[in-house]
Amino acid sequence: MTHTRTLVLSAGAVLMASSAAAQTLTINSFGGAYEEAHRKCIITPFEEATGATVQVETAYSADGFAQLRAQAAAPQFDVMHFSGGQEIVAAREGLLAPIDPASLSNADGLVDAARPNLDGGEGPAYSIVAMGMLYNSEAVDGPTSWADLANPDWYEHLVLTDMSNTYGMQGFLMLNQVAGGSLDDIQPGLDMVTEMLDGGAIVVSTSPEIMQEFAQNDAWVAPYSSDYAFVMRDAGLPIGFNQGEEGTPGVYITANLVANRDNQELALQFIDMSISPEAQVCFAEEMSYAPTNVNAELTGEVAEATPFGAEALEGLIRFDPEVIEERRSEWVDAWNRTIAR
Amino acid sequence: MTDRQENLLLLLPGIALLALAFLVPIAQMLVLAFQGPDGWTLDQFRRFLGDDFYRAVLWRTVRLSVLITALCLLIGFPLAYIMARVGPRARLWLIVMVILPLMTSVVVRTFGWMVVLSRSGLIPNTLRDMGLVGRAFSLMHTETAIVIGMVQVLLPFMALSILGVMMRIDPRLEEAARTMGCGFLQTLRTVVLPLAVPGIVAGSLLVFTLSASSFVTPNLLGGPRVQVLAASIYQQVTQTLDWNFAAAQAVILFVGVALVLIPYIALAGRVRRG
Repeated sequence: MTHTRTLVLSAGAVLMASSAAAQTLTINSFGGAYEEAHRKCIITPFEEATGATVQVETAYSADGFAQLRAQAAAPQFDVMHFSGGQEIVAAREGLLAPIDPASLSNADGLVDAARPNLDGGEGPAYSIVAMGMLYNSEAVDGPTSWADLANPDWYEHLVLTDMSNTYGMQGFLMLNQVAGGSLDDIQPGLDMVTEMLDGGAIVVSTSPEIMQEFAQNDAWVAPYSSDYAFVMRDAGLPIGFNQGEEGTPGVYITANLVANRDNQELALQFIDMSISPEAQVCFAEEMSYAPTNVNAELTGEVAEATPFGAEALEGLIRFDPEVIEERRSEWVDAWNRTIAR
Repeated sequence: MTDRQENLLLLLPGIALLALAFLVPIAQMLVLAFQGPDGWTLDQFRRFLGDDFYRAVLWRTVRLSVLITALCLLIGFPLAYIMARVGPRARLWLIVMVILPLMTSVVVRTFGWMVVLSRSGLIPNTLRDMGLVGRAFSLMHTETAIVIGMVQVLLPFMALSILGVMMRIDPRLEEAARTMGCGFLQTLRTVVLPLAVPGIVAGSLLVFTLSASSFVTPNLLGGPRVQVLAASIYQQVTQTLDWNFAAAQAVILFVGVALVLIPYIALAGRVRRG
């Protein structure tokens, strides 16, 4: 009798444990101010709506991709967020699962650029970041074109970002383009960077470091992203943000469905929530991210602070992520040699 | 069950853990390092050693580690001597002071250094006020910053290793030396130093290997422009996803450390015996 009861009890416990496990979703986020907004706009509302628990691991896109690859046989993430175009390679390697647009209730509202290849496994983009120039509005008149950054008087107060950072990569590719280079030839960009470094520019690798340079170390200008311009202004720093005349590279933040996981249905619900108008409006309010869903309507101050709406997306420069992934190794190597002391 | 079997049984969990958590990944790494697209190859090693850039990274790693070890020894030895000779209460306080840096997180500690070393930090500002340096002068993102930060973290390993040995040296030996006409420094050199060699060796080994393989502090204080080998390995693993090359660099780091350590251990052994 006791034996039977113990058996029944433990079987029940096992069942409960497994259903609880199915209700846990593991995702990555990017830390800092971004992760706070991510929790507020998507993660917490999702937990309240579904009763599931979301486990958040902090990992930048490149790190996350490396983990995904290492775990190919037994993935530990359900939803993976990328900002550097890693989804294209990950999808090609079969690490991401195809998404049937019919399974996302909000997919219809997405602009085409935000859902280039759902069937192939590339998840939808749920926010877009504009690359431009941050400047200290108390120290300088803001640069209006990318070419303005090549101003020797500013070099000692110029902050560049390492290529390991998505924003650093995009900013560099834009400088390269302005200097006369292309995705086939980054030497003009490297030469420009060499000149800036010789003049006293510094290189950092993370967003908090950029903030620190502006807050404490007399930085004047930096090629960087609209979201952190917003965060820094929010923190009370005199920061302006200009888009360059030559164009504005857009960084697409995507939510991807990891292959070979057993609670993909829940993961799809999470991705669906990420592309919902409510979540996107919230993200715009928190960090000035541009929505990708045409139904996300921004009003008043938020609309002004956000560099563009969903309909303006087509005008953004997008450096071919496939080329970036293909040549990343070679570029990082060349970049390291250029910046090494 | 014989004694031997019982002992083996007790050892089993430890060995299993070691094999799983240490030997398997190391073996895997070794295999990766010698693998290329078409089977076994030495290409990764040729790429590293045939390239000025990577040789410079290796050289910097070894050079900084030697410097950090030497500085730790220079500061740690007198410190350990004083700790061994003061009363138990004062010793406790000194030990707490020495290991305090280990109790704060690496990020907090590094931010502390940023406050002191960065462009508007205490030291560059003072130097600028004295007219010694230009307005863009900063100690952040330099080799100096790495050395300062690492010495702070690794000093306890050196000081405590030497202290352990120093405590067992009979103070009467020093008294004897002094009565027979040795000066203070001469006593240190001829009596204390030779007896403390085991501690110095152990401390130097710890400090050198830890600083050669450390990654977070050099990365934060040195910045992207001053790369050490561990940072380069991290980059190959996480960014360029070239694991074969990363594994080869790890093997080179290991061999590089071994090449410095083996003669050192041999030399120290001879000093101790002689």
